[in-house]
Amino acid sequence: MYNPVFSLKNVWFSYLGRFPALSGVDIDIKSGQKVSIIGANGSGKSTLLHLLDGLIFADSGEVNFFGMKLGEESFNDNEFSIDFRRKVGFVFQNPDVQLFCPTVKEDIVFGPLQLGLPKNQIQSRLEKLVFTLGIRDLLERSPNQLSIGEKRKVALASTLIIGPDILILDEPTAGLDPLTTRHIIDLLIDENISGKTIITSTHDLHIVGEVSDIVYVFGADKKIARFGDADDILNDTHLLAANNLVHIHSHRHKDKIHIHPHAHLDHHTEEHQNEKR
Amino acid sequence: MKRKSRNNGFVERSLSGVLSFLKNSLYAEEYASRRGFMQSLDQRIKTLSFILFIVAILLTKDILIVLALYLLCLFLAYISKIDLGFFLKRTWVFIPLFSLFIAFPALFSNFTPGEELFSFKAAGLALVITRPGVLSVLLFVLRVAAMVSFSVLLSITTRHFDLLKVLRIFGIPQAFVMIMGICYRYIYLFIGIIENTYFAIKSRVGTYMHYKKGQQVVGWNIAFLWVRSCRLNEEVYKAMLSRGYSGEPMVLDDFKVRWKDWLWLAFTGVTVICIIRFFR
Ligand SMILES: Nc1ncnc2c1ncn2[C@@H]1O[C@H](COP(=O)(O)OP(=O)(O)OP(=O)(O)O)[C@@H](O)[C@H]1O
Ligand SMILES: [Mg+2]
Repeated sequence: MYNPVFSLKNVWFSYLGRFPALSGVDIDIKSGQKVSIIGANGSGKSTLLHLLDGLIFADSGEVNFFGMKLGEESFNDNEFSIDFRRKVGFVFQNPDVQLFCPTVKEDIVFGPLQLGLPKNQIQSRLEKLVFTLGIRDLLERSPNQLSIGEKRKVALASTLIIGPDILILDEPTAGLDPLTTRHIIDLLIDENISGKTIITSTHDLHIVGEVSDIVYVFGADKKIARFGDADDILNDTHLLAANNLVHIHSHRHKDKIHIHPHAHLDHHTEEHQNEKR
Repeated sequence: MKRKSRNNGFVERSLSGVLSFLKNSLYAEEYASRRGFMQSLDQRIKTLSFILFIVAILLTKDILIVLALYLLCLFLAYISKIDLGFFLKRTWVFIPLFSLFIAFPALFSNFTPGEELFSFKAAGLALVITRPGVLSVLLFVLRVAAMVSFSVLLSITTRHFDLLKVLRIFGIPQAFVMIMGICYRYIYLFIGIIENTYFAIKSRVGTYMHYKKGQQVVGWNIAFLWVRSCRLNEEVYKAMLSRGYSGEPMVLDDFKVRWKDWLWLAFTGVTVICIIRFFR
């Protein structure tokens, strides 16, 4: 029987039993797929990803990992726990949370050390990652001293070094300059080509097309508003506007003020031309 | 008007003063990351050798030996690319504090009887300064100076977290060292948050802020920080779990002992044994 990597059935979750964060979510994620989650602030994206990584557990409904139910009890089994943590890697939205060691190097090797990878393997993976991400100069520094972009790269390295089959990334490109964004997206695409499942949450519609075979749009009601092909979703301006994913821009042309939605997809010039009609 | 602006200045100065003091004392990594002699040694060997020197200073009664060790320390500071002016300032701030006041009475015949050097009358008391008195005070002050200098040299040429790791060779549990490390990391983050909040408020209220308001801001900040720290605590724990933490942290032991370290240790050991053997 074929099992999806993750399969969620009618999942509900609330923080402290009071603050609802997911209200009935169904998702199936197949191995090797690129999936992205988009939605306004507070729509439950991070909560969903934490749930997939087994950091929190559903109040009701089912979360299955390769057909096996994920619950608090499953992680009491040490063998399963180590196996799961080796297979699933998570990059947190806030790199300050993820980088808790006093130096960058210690942070990067934290995961593989806990998971009992052999020392020489850790060393060789470290070398490789440090090279691809261009972070050699940062190794001996404290995460405190890094810029946001550098922190994100280090956070990514600290997850990639585990060598997970499934990569979950919570807004991996927030606050990055275009070139660094490009670099990280290329890296993710390479990982995907080598067979990894990539699950990303983002606000950045620019990257959605590249990092998704399937897009899930989360609504303010903390449910899936729609899901489907990246192209279909990105062309549905109504849907995007209804979910705070389109900026309303106002421009001054000569002495007239134009107000129009701006989906961050096309370049300004194209939209202006459309407007002139 | 004048009073108010002085108040404002006080809040501002004390706040940024405290912040920069915290930052500097927590984070004096600048010297630790220079490429000098002390920085190139293995942390454990370095700590051990400094402890040996301090033992030698405590045991010898010869002023010249203590003076020689003090000069050695200055020389070590010099070859570790440490600005001597900075080093002397940093050490001599502490020395009078610890030594002169304690040692002062020992100058006088009442405490140290012996050959008279100098005598005078103060407040109806005849005070006699004795030669052994002067010598013992001199020895004491020099000892303190040398010990303080060695400790300061160790602390400024070693990353603070590495010093923590050295604790492990004295049998302090791994988990404890790790928690200290995490605290160390986040205290700094919090200092940054306070600083930024303060700047944000300042940019909105302008440079003028009544001191009452200033106090409120500080109070509010601390409350805010508390909430932040609880939330952070939870999130950091998740981040550790996510990367396979299961209650017993594993840490990379990247101490490296090379022939240079053994040579240095041998030099220290021989020197200290000679001092203890011949100059006690
Ligand atoms: N630790 C928490 N305690 C209480 N409520 C929380 C907590 N974390 C999140 N929430 C609430 O859960 C809901 C979903 O939050 P979540 O962080 O999943 O949103 P998000 O889609 O990731 O938002 P963003 O785009 O801002 O990252 C929000 O209404 C939020 O207020
Ligand atoms: Mg989020």
